[in-house]
Amino acid sequence: MAEKQASKEQVTKVCFVTTGATAPFEALIESVLSASSIEALQKAEYTNLLVQYGTAKQLYESHAKAAIQRIREQGRSLKIDGLDFDQNGLRDQFQLVQRSNGVVISHAGSGSILEALRFQLPLIVVPNTSLLGNHQDELATAMAKNNYLIRGDVENLAPAILEAEQFKQKMTQFPPITSGKHRETKSFAGVMDEMLGFVE
Amino acid sequence: MALPPPSNLSTLSFLLTTLATLFVTASLRLLVILSNSHSRPQRRQPGTPTRILIVLGSGGHTHEMFYLLRGLDTSKYTHRTYVVSSGDAFSAQRAVEFEQNLETLAKERGTAEAQPEPPSQAQSQSQSQSQSQSQSQGQQKQDTTEEGVGGGVATRRRRAPTILRTPHLGRQHYNIATIPRARLIHQSLLTTPFTSLYTLLSAIPILLSSPPLLPDSPPQDAFEAAACDLPDLIITNGPATAVIVVLASLLLKFFNVRGVQGRGKCRTVYVESFARVKTLSLSGRLLLRVVDRFLVQWEELEGAGGRAEFWGLLV
Repeated sequence: MAEKQASKEQVTKVCFVTTGATAPFEALIESVLSASSIEALQKAEYTNLLVQYGTAKQLYESHAKAAIQRIREQGRSLKIDGLDFDQNGLRDQFQLVQRSNGVVISHAGSGSILEALRFQLPLIVVPNTSLLGNHQDELATAMAKNNYLIRGDVENLAPAILEAEQFKQKMTQFPPITSGKHRETKSFAGVMDEMLGFVE
Repeated sequence: MALPPPSNLSTLSFLLTTLATLFVTASLRLLVILSNSHSRPQRRQPGTPTRILIVLGSGGHTHEMFYLLRGLDTSKYTHRTYVVSSGDAFSAQRAVEFEQNLETLAKERGTAEAQPEPPSQAQSQSQSQSQSQSQSQGQQKQDTTEEGVGGGVATRRRRAPTILRTPHLGRQHYNIATIPRARLIHQSLLTTPFTSLYTLLSAIPILLSSPPLLPDSPPQDAFEAAACDLPDLIITNGPATAVIVVLASLLLKFFNVRGVQGRGKCRTVYVESFARVKTLSLSGRLLLRVVDRFLVQWEELEGAGGRAEFWGLLV
């Protein structure tokens, strides 16, 4: 639905934000609609900001309203849309970003990360640092170190948004072709075959 | 005199001796099981009836499991049992979707491979086919009876006779088994051991057999027989249910139910979540020394417990 809305108008560059379906990462919604993030998005010439807010509709609406007001006062343009939750997963949104050469900003849930990376998109992952013992930060940091994605800071997203511009050139392919010990690759299927004696 | 009567004394010491003997025997048996399980498997050809058991868990674990299993070769893994916790409709739904997706892929590949092939390739394929025929004649015999019975598989074979690797897809080649939850949300910690025990006991019939296609009738072919036998491989990644299913398999090994040990059945593999970068999860720590192979996805965890293997990201 969101895609249809967006495609009616001129879509040239989309930033898609996903915050999780059941327990949305509220601080991420606030952060991406803050003045500094919006400014960074404009600087990088985004035309659309699409926010998947899950159950945090009220929070999204109040912050989006304020952001739209600010944009209007400045006489600039950035279209802001929201969607609660897509039953069919986020494939449509990821494809939209892919076509428009945009970026995805995501919470650090492993499901979203794995899905987004398969679209070979520049991905900014924002760990929820208020969750204790969740290991989100470790994962985001390790993935960023390997250039699979950019780790974003929920307190200040602007640097990550600007970094995404150049990131596509140095982005590592996912799933990696060579990784692991001595750059030796073994898929899980290979391990299964080994365990049951299926040797070619 | 405060000494108890002699009969009581001997009963006590008898009990103690029995307990000590049982304990020593059990420990020795466990040691044998755990060291035995690392033995090399016998070589097997694709097309050999093989049952695998896949333990699904809450959202994240299920997601990762299907990334791990992507492109599963159903010509090798001829029967799949997906274990889901009761009430986890999401995982059950994902399992059905996964199987449907495998079918779609096989159909696409089937039409692509039906194109005429270069003769050299076809020759080498028929060679390997005759090889496998001579190696497992008994199984091949049963295989042909299946061709007569199972219509869908037979037509697929007739259309492309050179393909040795028949995919084993469709409702008769997988099942979804439901297991009661070990611990409900907000359940008191006091009662958790009891519900866990119940889950453990419920896991045993799931391990022993998948439900027969026709109730009260013996398996019609080797593939059905494998489906109604112990799994060859148990695949787990983080959920609590996985720990319990692996423990249930250990119990079967302990009592060598249906010759599980000698036949090399119920091999177990655990894959630590890709979200675990520096430390193992609780399930991981519990299963580290119990499973046959333990895989981690980040280099920092390599060699954990002296046996965690690292082959890069697997999801």
